[in-house]
Amino acid sequence: MSTSLRDTLVRERYLLRFDWAMQDFPKHKTVVRELRTELTAAASEVGMRQAVADLGHPRVLADGYLNELGRPVPRWTTGAVWGGLAVGAVVYLVMAYTFGTLDTLEQLGGGTIEREFLGATAVFTSAEGGISAGTTLTWQALVFYALVFTVPFLLGARVWRVRSRLADARNPRRTAPTTTAA
Amino acid sequence: MDEPRDPQLLKGVLPMLVLALLTERESYGYELVTRLHEAGLDDLGAGTLYPVLNRLERDGQISSRLVASSAGPARKYYLPTDTGAEQLWSTARAWQQLAVTVDGLLARATSKEPS
Repeated sequence: MSTSLRDTLVRERYLLRFDWAMQDFPKHKTVVRELRTELTAAASEVGMRQAVADLGHPRVLADGYLNELGRPVPRWTTGAVWGGLAVGAVVYLVMAYTFGTLDTLEQLGGGTIEREFLGATAVFTSAEGGISAGTTLTWQALVFYALVFTVPFLLGARVWRVRSRLADARNPRRTAPTTTAA
Repeated sequence: MDEPRDPQLLKGVLPMLVLALLTERESYGYELVTRLHEAGLDDLGAGTLYPVLNRLERDGQISSRLVASSAGPARKYYLPTDTGAEQLWSTARAWQQLAVTVDGLLARATSKEPS
């Protein structure tokens, strides 16, 4: 029995949301693939809508899988979002500073000014022919821009959780949940 | 009328119940949900069971194999491993001991009429 286009869309929409919520789960693609098989099998008995409804909200289902790991896992996706936002904020500030400086120069009748930041020289020019801005690069400035992404990324990812993962690798039964009666 | 069940109560015993059902006969995921419903856990959702199956398989307590089906796609059937069988035995004993303790405590508490 083949799955109809409508059922496929319902299934894949659910799995897409589940996949996103499971990104921090080790080998989550395998889980998503298995869930697709289960969903298709269940749908042949109760219909796709009911099969999907029985799974509950994809975020809650993903939390169920993460809870069953019995240990916190790093959240690399969240870290990447934090890092991206920090980079975006710095880019916005640099652009705002650059355009503000060029506007001021234009209001003053044109000219050139230089500013230093961590050894890098930024040159802003406003003249009859147009405006320009440029900067040199130093290793200090490169480190700064790298840290702008790296620090929020590591904090957002809760990188310290890698330690519990490494400890589990050395002693797999240390935190693995057991089948307990209560 | 049955009292509404606290999901946390079920969560603790679900791995043991899954192992017990699979000891009777191998099953695929949705069939297990149906069997648990028939056993009285009619409020159990498939979304509660699948993470448990995943963990039991990861821990080596159950194994799986794909079986072709004439009524749809291939199904993943689960069966307890030797480790799972040992785990079921020890968990069942722990559960029985706990049940005796809990029953005793509850009998004392509920024997008094609320004033």
